[in-house]
Amino acid sequence: MCPDRQILSAYFDGEIAAPWGREIAAHVATCELCRAQLSRMEGTRGLLTEEEAQGWWAPMERVRLRIIGHVPLERHTVPAWRRQVSLPLPVALIAAALLLTFGITLAVLATRTNMGYIRVTKAPAGGTEYQFAVPYDKVEALLKSMGGAEANIESVMTIPKSVKLIPVGEPRMGKANEFPRKKP
Amino acid sequence: MSARMRGGLVPILLALAVAQTHAQAQSSDNDPKEALQELLSKALTVTVSARVLPPDAQEETPIWNAESTKLTLPGRSIKVRLDGENVRIYLICTPYLQDDGDVLLLAQGQVWFTEPLDKENRYFSTFYSIPVSFGEKVLFFPLGLSDADAQQKNHFNIELEIKIVPYEKKQ
Repeated sequence: MCPDRQILSAYFDGEIAAPWGREIAAHVATCELCRAQLSRMEGTRGLLTEEEAQGWWAPMERVRLRIIGHVPLERHTVPAWRRQVSLPLPVALIAAALLLTFGITLAVLATRTNMGYIRVTKAPAGGTEYQFAVPYDKVEALLKSMGGAEANIESVMTIPKSVKLIPVGEPRMGKANEFPRKKP
Repeated sequence: MSARMRGGLVPILLALAVAQTHAQAQSSDNDPKEALQELLSKALTVTVSARVLPPDAQEETPIWNAESTKLTLPGRSIKVRLDGENVRIYLICTPYLQDDGDVLLLAQGQVWFTEPLDKENRYFSTFYSIPVSFGEKVLFFPLGLSDADAQQKNHFNIELEIKIVPYEKKQ
């Protein structure tokens, strides 16, 4: 008696346990009908496998290659000095002008050997600007050389103790001719 | 002129303006000696004379006086301090040269005073801005102008005279 189709299909897939599998194998060896059925199953499986390979393999391979192509390890890194930067022309010109001015200033400052420590700049309107680029004591030394020992910042006068002073009003200041009572 | 050309012209003009300003700033400090001479020509001599006058208004001979002559530059202040038994007076003068050649004197007066009887401390601080000519005298009365009552009480008057003249190099 031939096994039914489902059992034969399970046997074809190797899903039948050993004692039963041996019984079915002995039967198939003597049954032309069951061998023909197994042969059809084999043909169907071969057809399905071939269709699967032909229909899906190529797209899957393309996707795989695309994914592999974006792996960071395989990306080519360009050095900073070889990168191309695109800027609008006005921005590029302004940047170049600023760099040029900065460079000229640095070059002038680096090559000046007779840099004075006092800079006097006359403005077009007539004003004069003084810039000191030295510690304060150097300026004091300069003024001392100009005026002698009196060049210290603060001078002190000591009023004799016998002089009795008290405020007689608010402090006042003005030109001498505004105080007619005083004749210095 | 197209908008593109105008867009390119603006940064060039800006660069030229920057270069011109830089050249103007550099033109006057090429020679330190020249700069120093220019500085010396602007130096000022500030003389502060302090006088204590007797109570009698008719008497002009001071019973005490002192003088301090300071050399300075426009915009640089000088400071004079007067120390008395119960008073300390600061006078800080900063002269500025004006475009017309005169001097604008900015002066600050500070007075610390201790009352002889109750030892109460008083403090005055005043600020003045006075345009003056060279050699013109400015008077500062740190304790006020004495009136008739003060004169009757035999209180002394103190005044400070400020005079600013251009610096002259001593030969």
